[in-house]
Amino acid sequence: MDKEELILKWLDNNLSPQELEAFKALEDYEALVKLSDYSQGFKAPEYNTDDALQAVLSKIETKKTTKTNWLKPLLKVAAILAICFGAYYYTTTLDTTFATEYAEKTQVELPDNSQVNLNALSKISFNKNDWNTTNRTINLTGEAFFKVTQGSTFKVVTDAGIVTVVGTEFNIKQRPNYFEVTCFEGEVHINYNTGKTNLKTGDSFVIINEQIIETQPSKNTQPDWLNNVSSFISVPLSEVLAEFERQYNVKIEVNTIQTSTLFSGKFTHNDINIALKSITEPLQLQFKKTNNTIILTRE
Amino acid sequence: MAQPLHDNICDKSRFEAFFKRHAKNLHDFLYYKFGDRLNPEDKAQEAFIKLWENCKKVSPDKAKSYVFTVANNLMLNEAAHQKVVLKHQQLKRTNQTNESPEFLMEEDEYRKKLELAIANLTEAQRVAFLMNRVEGKRFKEIAQLLDISTKAVEKRIYGALKKLREEIEGL
Repeated sequence: MDKEELILKWLDNNLSPQELEAFKALEDYEALVKLSDYSQGFKAPEYNTDDALQAVLSKIETKKTTKTNWLKPLLKVAAILAICFGAYYYTTTLDTTFATEYAEKTQVELPDNSQVNLNALSKISFNKNDWNTTNRTINLTGEAFFKVTQGSTFKVVTDAGIVTVVGTEFNIKQRPNYFEVTCFEGEVHINYNTGKTNLKTGDSFVIINEQIIETQPSKNTQPDWLNNVSSFISVPLSEVLAEFERQYNVKIEVNTIQTSTLFSGKFTHNDINIALKSITEPLQLQFKKTNNTIILTRE
Repeated sequence: MAQPLHDNICDKSRFEAFFKRHAKNLHDFLYYKFGDRLNPEDKAQEAFIKLWENCKKVSPDKAKSYVFTVANNLMLNEAAHQKVVLKHQQLKRTNQTNESPEFLMEEDEYRKKLELAIANLTEAQRVAFLMNRVEGKRFKEIAQLLDISTKAVEKRIYGALKKLREEIEGL
């Protein structure tokens, strides 16, 4: 029997006792046994058939149920879409807002090239995406001067009323207990809480403390505040002082002074001392200035 | 071989019996062929699950080669062919006394050489050789497992042996 055959029989674990002797007598015997022994070190990791079977069976079980679970990924997709759509909807319907602080004025150009001048402590907001040739709506709190380009109905919504125009220049002042609309060009329609009215060029419409005030037509072409002057004709002192506070960011204490006194006059936005004098002198009042507080007293 | 009683193994108890008979062999086959890098345990599991899902289409006498083929393909799909290096584990030593430093060094060197030589075998040789030497399977069993003739198994194992010796002993 030749060597290869012996080795093969040994490998196949199939040696007869005599053959084993012959195999042991081979010169490579030691090397072969060593190689074989060391090969044991490559043994595959322990494989637990029962555990594996349980794993497979449980997977098969869950697979059965997951067959109807196509709904789950679908729901995930739907949820993502809903979020995306929601975010898109939210951002596109979000209003664009411009606002001013105390003593600040700003100019805003609307999508239709209409111009808005914002007086101090005022805010406008409108929806860019909902702004088109048939719908021009803007929300206002505070005071603003509008120069509206010709086009469809232009609507300004305030707490005190809605002002509707087609193409014109007008000023709206909406402050606590105070609502004033002045038309500088064209025609303005006003819907206020208790009625409606139309203004022609030069007309003003004023409501103070829910009382409509008769006014004289003016010849101005734009509100004085655009030239950094606040002007008043027969306006209660309280509103004059409130405007003063907005323009200079100060607090005014009036103590015993009657603020319902009517005031006609102007004050500048550029110099606080001159401005104070132009209010106090006609009314024969004294003022004392400490930091951001101004105290008015009788002479 | 007895004629199969059923023409599929969709029955759970039959599937379980089939699993118990072949799972370990499949796992070992995958391990020796591809190493442990691609997780032979998972692939074996997946192959059996595939068999279950397709149990109506696979006849019982083809089931074994079906799982072997599926698992093999799963492995091949996973990664480009790379050289497989099986880790040699330290064998448990019964005799602690003859571990002289020279002996240990020599042993270490031998182990490294063997590791390299095993890695250099062809897949077919390595699988057949380790199934035979490590798992103690006889030629006929391996032949059945791999769906080849006993003669081919003989050739592979003997070829592997020769090649290993050549590399290790530098013949």
